[in-house]
Amino acid sequence: MKSKQRQAVPGSCPAPIDRRTFFSQVGDGLQGAALATLLGADLLGPDALLAASSRQVYDLQRQQPHFEPRATSVIQLFMNGGPSQVDLLDPKPALEKFAGQPPSRDLASEIRAVREAGGLMPSPFKFSKRGESGIEVSEVMPHLAEQVDDITVIRSMFTPHIAHESSLFVMHSGRMFPGRPSLGAWVVYGLGTENRNLPAYVVLDDPKGLPINDIQNWQAGFLPAVYQGTRVRSEGSPLLNLHPREEWPNPVVKLSRSLLRHLDRNHLSRHPDEAELEARIAGYELAARMQLAASDALDVSGESEATKEMYGLNDELTASYGKRCLMARRLVERGVRLVQIYIEGQIWDNHSALVKNLGYACGKTDRPAAALLKDLKLRGLLDRTLVVWGGEFGRLPIAQQPASGEVGRDHGPSGFSVWLAGGGVKGGTVYGATDDIGYKAADKPVSVHDLHATILHLLGMNHRQLIFEREGRSERLTDEFPARIVQDIIA
Amino acid sequence: MGREHRVLNFQGSFYGLGGGRLFLAWIGIVLLYLPVRGAQSPGFETDVLPIFQQHCLQCHSDQARQGGLSLETLESVLAGGDSGAVVVAHNPLESRLLVLINSGGMPMGGPPLEAAAIDLVRRWIEAGMPGKTADTPVPAAAPPVREREVMAAVLGAKCLPCHGRRRQEAGLDLRTREGLLKGGKSGPAIVPGRPEESLLVKRIRAQEMPPPQLQEQFSVRGLTSDEFDKVQAWIAAGAPPDPEKPPEAGPGRDSTAASMDRQFWSFQPPRRPVEPGVRGKDRIRNPVDAFLLARLGTEGLGFSPPADRLALMRRAYLDLAGLPPSPEEIRSYLADSDPRAYERLVDRLLESPHYGERWARYWLDAVGYADSEGGVSSDEIRPHAFRYRDYVIRSLNADKPYDRFLIEQIAGDELFDYKAVESYSPDQLDLLVATGFLRMGPDSTYSTEQNNLPERLDVVATQIEILSSSTMGLTLACARCHDHKFDPLSQRDYYQLSAILRTAYDPYDWLSPSMGCIGVGANCNETNTRLLPLPSDGELREVEEYNAPFKRKIAELERQLEEKARPLRKQLLEEKMAVLPESLRQDLKEASQATPEERTPVQEYLLGKFAETLEVTRAEILQKFTDFAEASKEIEQQIKDEKKKLKDKPRIRALFDMGGRPTPTRILGRGEYTNPGDQVLPGVPAVLNGELMPYRVEKPEWSTETTGRRLALAKWLTQPDHPLTARVMVNRIWQHHFGVGLVSTPGNFGSTGARPSHPGLLDWLAREFVDGGWSLKSLHRLIMTSTAYRQTSSAGGLSLERDPDNRLVSRFPLRRLDADALRDSILKVSGRLDPTRYGPADELEIKPDGEVIAKESPDGYRRSIYVRQRRSQPLSLLESFDAPLLVPNCLKRPHSTVSSQALQLENSELVRLSARHMAGRVIDAVGEDPSRQIERVYLLALTRPPTAEESAKAQEVLRQLTREWKRHLEVEVPAEPVASQAEWLALASLCHTFLNSAEFLYVN
Repeated sequence: MKSKQRQAVPGSCPAPIDRRTFFSQVGDGLQGAALATLLGADLLGPDALLAASSRQVYDLQRQQPHFEPRATSVIQLFMNGGPSQVDLLDPKPALEKFAGQPPSRDLASEIRAVREAGGLMPSPFKFSKRGESGIEVSEVMPHLAEQVDDITVIRSMFTPHIAHESSLFVMHSGRMFPGRPSLGAWVVYGLGTENRNLPAYVVLDDPKGLPINDIQNWQAGFLPAVYQGTRVRSEGSPLLNLHPREEWPNPVVKLSRSLLRHLDRNHLSRHPDEAELEARIAGYELAARMQLAASDALDVSGESEATKEMYGLNDELTASYGKRCLMARRLVERGVRLVQIYIEGQIWDNHSALVKNLGYACGKTDRPAAALLKDLKLRGLLDRTLVVWGGEFGRLPIAQQPASGEVGRDHGPSGFSVWLAGGGVKGGTVYGATDDIGYKAADKPVSVHDLHATILHLLGMNHRQLIFEREGRSERLTDEFPARIVQDIIA
Repeated sequence: MGREHRVLNFQGSFYGLGGGRLFLAWIGIVLLYLPVRGAQSPGFETDVLPIFQQHCLQCHSDQARQGGLSLETLESVLAGGDSGAVVVAHNPLESRLLVLINSGGMPMGGPPLEAAAIDLVRRWIEAGMPGKTADTPVPAAAPPVREREVMAAVLGAKCLPCHGRRRQEAGLDLRTREGLLKGGKSGPAIVPGRPEESLLVKRIRAQEMPPPQLQEQFSVRGLTSDEFDKVQAWIAAGAPPDPEKPPEAGPGRDSTAASMDRQFWSFQPPRRPVEPGVRGKDRIRNPVDAFLLARLGTEGLGFSPPADRLALMRRAYLDLAGLPPSPEEIRSYLADSDPRAYERLVDRLLESPHYGERWARYWLDAVGYADSEGGVSSDEIRPHAFRYRDYVIRSLNADKPYDRFLIEQIAGDELFDYKAVESYSPDQLDLLVATGFLRMGPDSTYSTEQNNLPERLDVVATQIEILSSSTMGLTLACARCHDHKFDPLSQRDYYQLSAILRTAYDPYDWLSPSMGCIGVGANCNETNTRLLPLPSDGELREVEEYNAPFKRKIAELERQLEEKARPLRKQLLEEKMAVLPESLRQDLKEASQATPEERTPVQEYLLGKFAETLEVTRAEILQKFTDFAEASKEIEQQIKDEKKKLKDKPRIRALFDMGGRPTPTRILGRGEYTNPGDQVLPGVPAVLNGELMPYRVEKPEWSTETTGRRLALAKWLTQPDHPLTARVMVNRIWQHHFGVGLVSTPGNFGSTGARPSHPGLLDWLAREFVDGGWSLKSLHRLIMTSTAYRQTSSAGGLSLERDPDNRLVSRFPLRRLDADALRDSILKVSGRLDPTRYGPADELEIKPDGEVIAKESPDGYRRSIYVRQRRSQPLSLLESFDAPLLVPNCLKRPHSTVSSQALQLENSELVRLSARHMAGRVIDAVGEDPSRQIERVYLLALTRPPTAEESAKAQEVLRQLTREWKRHLEVEVPAEPVASQAEWLALASLCHTFLNSAEFLYVN
């Protein structure tokens, strides 16, 4: 079995390269002395290389996938809080019939706020068949409804835990606890990036605040830090320390940089064979290039008025999320491998005032998300960009009646919906189903591991072969869990 | 509803573990889509056994029996393994064997089975698992429900908070079958054979138990229909007891395999090898050199020339203190003409209090130290963890023998009768604080939402992982769900170790890790948290004094709130009293208005009797008067904010024996509590038991209830001949000095770990360490005074050619400062290092752009080890320079070179401000003379004076910088003197460049 494990010797390396060429190609993210090995091969011949073949290089160099990929980039619209499937994408007329009835024993055993639990509650929103495919969509997602022929709705997702933290960890890394690498980290570990002047894995978090589990959602875990998600702010300086708080006069910056180069070259001349030192010098050069590239990629001011309008940039409600969706398009356009967009607090966590709060969450995101699909399609990017929409779980079909306030819904991990679009995914398709009342995945259940394996598959990677060796253990995103590719949703 | 989808019920199965029912569910779906081929059903011997022989018997033969399973004969297949049955006749969906091979989970490590083979096994199961041919089917029968499935997996998980060790509501104890039969106030809980008459079944059926209103508070859920069915089926069958063998002490069935496995190098006790005789004796300062030279000689290599005197000084300082020397220290060292000046320098550094601060960091990495709990979004602060950090620093500075250091940390509470002591001596206090060792992993169970059995088992697993990797270099955590794939570590070994911890960490009788517990009904107090009181008057007084102003503020806010509530309270009281008879109303009114002193006995009686009516709670008022609720929101928020400022009473974050009889420890199939297997006794990994004194528990004879289980472990672990304890520690010390250990996988000394590069040296060091009284400082001295350590790092061609990765130590490695040393060094050279030691961790500050820095004190910033280490908010500078995420621990920090590091050093406020401070200190020290300034900068940042050429170059740049800054400052008509300002800023820019330079960042 050929595993996609980084080797110190890239098999495809055609001819020895000189150092300068090498460093101009490598740029970012070298792991320790690893590089010495690569250079050693040029300087000292293959024997030296073999002697040190256990060393590995970790960088963001573009890597060959296992097989022909359907998607080369991913945009994940993370709907933190847990959007209610029975009010959005999974209509359940039976709830009308059973309205007010107490839940079954099994459902009851999964209720979180037991004392606030009410009876079965039909959706306050109307569903109608939309598009040529006739997929039923709730009235609170009017814009997505326009694009419904481009998406696959998976209605049979499930996760194992009722708490946000645990389920967020599962959704991101496959395990209930912190410390495992996130999906995004695995993807850039496996594929590298197409644009070395931008971070490979970008996180666009909401200026109003980090989601639950905050930065742990995009951590690299035991993978090298170079694969961690990079937080890019949509307001102010996009990257941490991309610019100093107070700029020095230009000539001072120039003098300082030239002195630094001088000092470092001198130091290098005393340690001529320490490749890491050269990598560090390259790192400073890349940092300078990044200052330009990142600013350009994230500047949406040059977009046409029509585009801005489409993303809702002129409307206060949609402007913030719209801007991040538009940034995401600009980033994948420039070769960024994976972009995750998060949203303020837990706006889908509608324990109370379902009508108002779910309405707000949809109002804020529906139009920008649909615009992103439309825009990607228009520019021919949708074919190679996989868009994934969903939260950490769904909600229960029963009412939650808080001590004060209006009725809402509690967490429901056993059955919920996500949608995918582009990047080799069928359009206008519904996959799987929950039971009659929308509580539990019933037909063709899809686990988070299945979803992860499917996303890797669309990116041209076999989840069983994307391996990282550490301390004698072969680690994988799907770990020892069974995971299947959901073939039926692939076009 | 519910019932028809039973196959999907995955209650009790968690991704934290192995899937269980959850994956049966989807496999089921997959299987439904497999085409059914061939009418002739396959037989075991003819069709199935050959497949097993090819793919499975390597691990699952009668001999090997991994996981207690043999697939060699039909009988053994039907008998199943440690996790129960592997095949269920006519039911492929429930047959674990098929599920595993279908998912690729088996064969472990081998290639997956082909589709045709899987299909054959499936058809064989569908046919009822016939033997030779299709016409001898095995009768299918549902396996009977066993006692343990009901007691441990269902009742144990749902009932024990109220009917367990601490409480027996209604006199009912549900921990044992006997308890069920005996029952409580209302009679026996079960009637064997008659589920419908059993009180237990009735109460569960009515969904009265577990009581819905208490479920959240106690982190339990109602029974699923599957679980309920199990309970009923077991009672219906007469509630039979498990025909369970008493648990075997010791290695059990692994003993035969173990004798062979013990031959592996790291499971053999280290023996002192003979020091090799080599040529080049002039370069041998101690035996370390002899071992290294012997190996180098075989490659035609020798040591590189000695490092320059100041390079060695800088190396020793950064290694032992984590800080560069000051110009004054450099001068006095250069002036020291004693031939043993370097040796004396090493001694001085080992005596410096900075030594403990530097080396405690490595130990804290190894034990996964953090100042927050993790796992839950609130990431609760651990206000008391710092005591453990301080204990480690003090112990290292005192050169506490390593065996003693381990014993205290594993079982300090079992070393003296701590409950019988009125106040602790400092040493006794240390013993309790030391047990914080096994309290450092992430622990989410302070949230009632994440305090279920699986999360509790995760906490235990984390501690076992930390304990086994940090002290023994074993990857024992793998054996939680299955026997270790590659090492002779069985599930039994894992659960025996967890039985040692059981008296302190009992998943069925859990203590909250923190006073700051959260969630519905969360109620932490002294009786249910894993904290011990700190009986120190001084500290208590300090905290009270600190809290006093906040408490006053809170009282004032409460008073304001009450003022607003009073009229409403009166109104509500009248409404509530309105339902009482008129006469009574008058009496009650008078009684309630009288002060306690004035009350007559009759009035007292009345008040007691109608207490509920008379008491109008804030909650009632809030519910009734929404206007009030709205108006009081702000004050309530203020109260909350003020309460957050209160410091908790001083306590010890300790691990202690809870006394009494712990629940039995069982092997859990796939690591899930829903799969309870055989009971095990406390014990240690069988493979290590060969020549050691066995693990033996002796209960200490004193009043404090403690079993002595951990003390026995500590003593077993610190035997002089233990194959791993000394080797693992010696190896890590070597690793921190040379960048790579003699075993390059410090947390894995097993078969998948690396082999030692110098086995003789490793063993010699281990023996020397133990025989010399486990002194870490002696070990440092030995290593650092060797010729090997004193080599230069700029080596010539031969060393690079024949020893490219320096595994043979033919030169000293060039190493980047690790995150902590880098930050501390920047602070030190800029004069911003606050030298205050010990005490609560420094708080963090998050800048608007997301940068996390420490809060500044009047004296600057303290060393990184004293900064709050919060899991969700790592210090930005440390994070980008590879400070590890401690999940759960880290024995070797990763090392990356990424552009975000360049951005940090170039642009972060911390480095820019430090450069200005540094320039200021330089001017203060040497005045305006540029050449003296440059010399000072070189000494401060690089521990050496500049060469004439370097000085000239730097002075030239400084002149240009001054000119540019002056020009910049003169753009607007200046109000202040420009020349001196420009000179300072220019020097600051220059210092900034030096703080960015490779020579500052790397140790030669």
